[in-house]
Amino acid sequence: MKSRFALFLIVIAIIAGLPWLITTPYWRGILVLCAMNVLLAMSLNLVLGYTGQLNLGQSAFFAIGAYVSTILIKTYGWNFWVAALAAVIAAGFLGLALAAFAARLRGHYLAIASLGFAVITYQVLLNWEDVTEGVRGIYGILPPVPNTVALFYLVAGIAAAVYLLLDNLVRSPIGDTLRAIREDEVSAASLGVNAAIWKAFAFGLGAGIAGLAGAFYPGFVGTLVPDAFGIIESFTMMAMVIVGGMGTMIGPVIGAVVLTFLPELLRGFGELRLMIYGLALTLVVLFMPGGMVQAWVSLKNRLRA
Amino acid sequence: MSDLLALLTQQTINGVYLGCLYVMVALGLTLIYGVLNQINFAHADFVTVGAFTAFFTATRLATRVLGMPDTAAYLLSLFFALGAGALLGWLVSAAVFAPLRRRGSDELRPLIATIGVSVLLENGQLWLFGPVPYQFDSPLARETIRVGRIFFSAQSALVVAVSLAAIAALYAFMRFTFIGKALRAVAQDRETAGLMGINENLVIALTIVIASALAGMAGALLGPVVVLTPFTGASLIVKAFAIVIIGGFGNMEGTIIAGLLVGIIEAFTVQYLGSGIIDLVVFAMLLAMLVIRPTGLIAERKEENV
Amino acid sequence: MSLLGAEKLNKRFGGVRAVQDVSIAVPQGAIFALIGPNGAGKSTLLNLLSGIYQPDSGSLSFDEVNLIGLRAHQRVRLGIARTFQKIRLFKQLSLLENVLAGFHIHQDVPLWQCFLSGASGRFRAEALELLAFVGLADRANDRAGALPYGQQRMLEIARALATRPKLFMLDEPAAGLNAAEMEFLLKRLENINKRNVTVVVVEHNMDLVMNVAQRVFVMDHGVPLFEGTPREVQANPQVIEAYLGGEFAA
Repeated sequence: MKSRFALFLIVIAIIAGLPWLITTPYWRGILVLCAMNVLLAMSLNLVLGYTGQLNLGQSAFFAIGAYVSTILIKTYGWNFWVAALAAVIAAGFLGLALAAFAARLRGHYLAIASLGFAVITYQVLLNWEDVTEGVRGIYGILPPVPNTVALFYLVAGIAAAVYLLLDNLVRSPIGDTLRAIREDEVSAASLGVNAAIWKAFAFGLGAGIAGLAGAFYPGFVGTLVPDAFGIIESFTMMAMVIVGGMGTMIGPVIGAVVLTFLPELLRGFGELRLMIYGLALTLVVLFMPGGMVQAWVSLKNRLRA
Repeated sequence: MSDLLALLTQQTINGVYLGCLYVMVALGLTLIYGVLNQINFAHADFVTVGAFTAFFTATRLATRVLGMPDTAAYLLSLFFALGAGALLGWLVSAAVFAPLRRRGSDELRPLIATIGVSVLLENGQLWLFGPVPYQFDSPLARETIRVGRIFFSAQSALVVAVSLAAIAALYAFMRFTFIGKALRAVAQDRETAGLMGINENLVIALTIVIASALAGMAGALLGPVVVLTPFTGASLIVKAFAIVIIGGFGNMEGTIIAGLLVGIIEAFTVQYLGSGIIDLVVFAMLLAMLVIRPTGLIAERKEENV
Repeated sequence: MSLLGAEKLNKRFGGVRAVQDVSIAVPQGAIFALIGPNGAGKSTLLNLLSGIYQPDSGSLSFDEVNLIGLRAHQRVRLGIARTFQKIRLFKQLSLLENVLAGFHIHQDVPLWQCFLSGASGRFRAEALELLAFVGLADRANDRAGALPYGQQRMLEIARALATRPKLFMLDEPAAGLNAAEMEFLLKRLENINKRNVTVVVVEHNMDLVMNVAQRVFVMDHGVPLFEGTPREVQANPQVIEAYLGGEFAA
């Protein structure tokens, strides 16, 4: 408990210090993006890594968070924070809807259902033009705080808080329950686990966190179009979780940081750098399924011996 | 011929044409699932690669370099697309599916690995070709054939002809050749097939190659009719999955029926609803299907093995 | 006094009638064996009792509570636990984590608290006790998937016991065990029974049945064949015929 707290303080210090090290507006923007990706990766990891549910449509919840908050602010003049809360709740409810499918479907079927879910969400956002402006997009969206550094502190701070809460959760009896469902749903049921309820919990919570990230996204980019929330965005999130280390708390964080910064560092290579997502994901799954966390643990063991 | 009948027939023909395209894409998916119990998420991207291969073959290689006439160039590009698909299939089989099968992994890992390949292919093509849509003009798309009051393009006739030929060839292959029978054996019971001397790995690799070749060719046929970007395949993939699920994973006949069904529904509703809504309708059907009867229209209910 | 009672249970899958008009009464505190040749429907019956399947018709009650309509996870709270024919452990988790998961129905930490204080220490001691009971205490932190088969079987038993059942049903627990492991299993079952847990064992292996069971229920082709003491069952000509004499060779 003590060492976790100390580690957390170190992380806070790093977050606080980063904007002093990184001073160009462009890279500060990347910091904000990174913090958002950390939130997204953690949200997916809860469902995919801890509960073992093959969810390929996480971008749908990110999208709902973005659109619900933006529409409430721009069209109805809501305050950002109340709108963000509404966005989280809306995304959470959508997560519960997907969980209804997860209750009955496993493996490939769930994967495809979740994909279909994401596509339906995308199509609704694209076509319900009265509300969402569809392809035209919504413009002139302001962030809740005046400058990039403040936005970074805000999002990173929230990400850190969410990390703590989730870390506690997975160490609690609920974590045991989710892992049991991941490992073997049938025998989990023979131990009294109501898989349907707990999947709903995981999906709902994961969706809510993704929705929270979504609330900050439009303000950061300034505009909002449905194309930002496609299938490939879901896959990128998945890559972050898996490359970092699925089913651990720190894994998705590492994955999000690496897969946010690496493509940026490789800007010199042009669009080729985007292939890093696919390449990293494929190679990790083939050779090091536990991701970078597994690599780190192996390295430690080897050095010890 | 009355107005209504003409309209119905026209739409049905359009539907059959669309359906054949979808069947070509979905058939490969279901073949792979039948023999491997795996979904190749990159399958739809093979379609995109096929489309681009055909595009460059038809518009650059065949016409400018070789000086072939447009139609012949296009037909040649079909074969190149077939080859590109086959090559990709072989690569994915050797680099992804075979190693994972050797290590005896669960069903999750190959799926995610193919997702990785899909992302790789999409971004790779994005780098090579850029995000701006390509105008793939097939010479046959401009030629219209008219039968009474029914119109259709030579392109659609070609699509239907090629699809039927491919499906017939596939059927004949499965039923009459030794390799085809071996494929069905492996699909039914891999262990026993292995014990009977069938080289499962070879059969599986061959299945993936054939399935991917089909996808490539589907891309060549599809190219002239859709917006051609590196993400063309991605827009198809959920529809392809919908068809495979409705028809039943691994079930060839079911997939064909489902594909035609989806094509016809789309043809009839696109006039009134627009293609985005179509996607929504199809996917809603998919979700409904998954809830009511996940094993598809035709497959039987199995006892859960505990 | 019968703890578990079923009347005329029926279950079919497609065209196959796996269980046909089966009535069964498991007396409280007994070790009850359910035997029959392959395909007799024993596992299906067990799945009906534990709630993985719902019967097409018939009645089923446990401790005077009607089980029809209750799903598997709900029956656990009433006190029914089971193991599976094909071992279903949480392979990636440690032995201790496996057993801790078994305490699920006894956990009473409120949701909000799970987000705050985190770690669950409450059942750790009891979990280690259960591991000791099956002889695995020294491997508590090993990965469950790394255990040899016989020990995996015992871990599964320890984990099921964490639910603190009144009725413990085991589906072919002796399959794949060597003589020493079987001896150990027998002793553990007797011990569990002495602690007032009613035990139902689906088994193929006659040694286990004859040495440990007090009552035996024989099935064949989904239909009840005979019920009695082990001695009576052994002598019954219909039972012998059903098995074609194979298992009964002394």
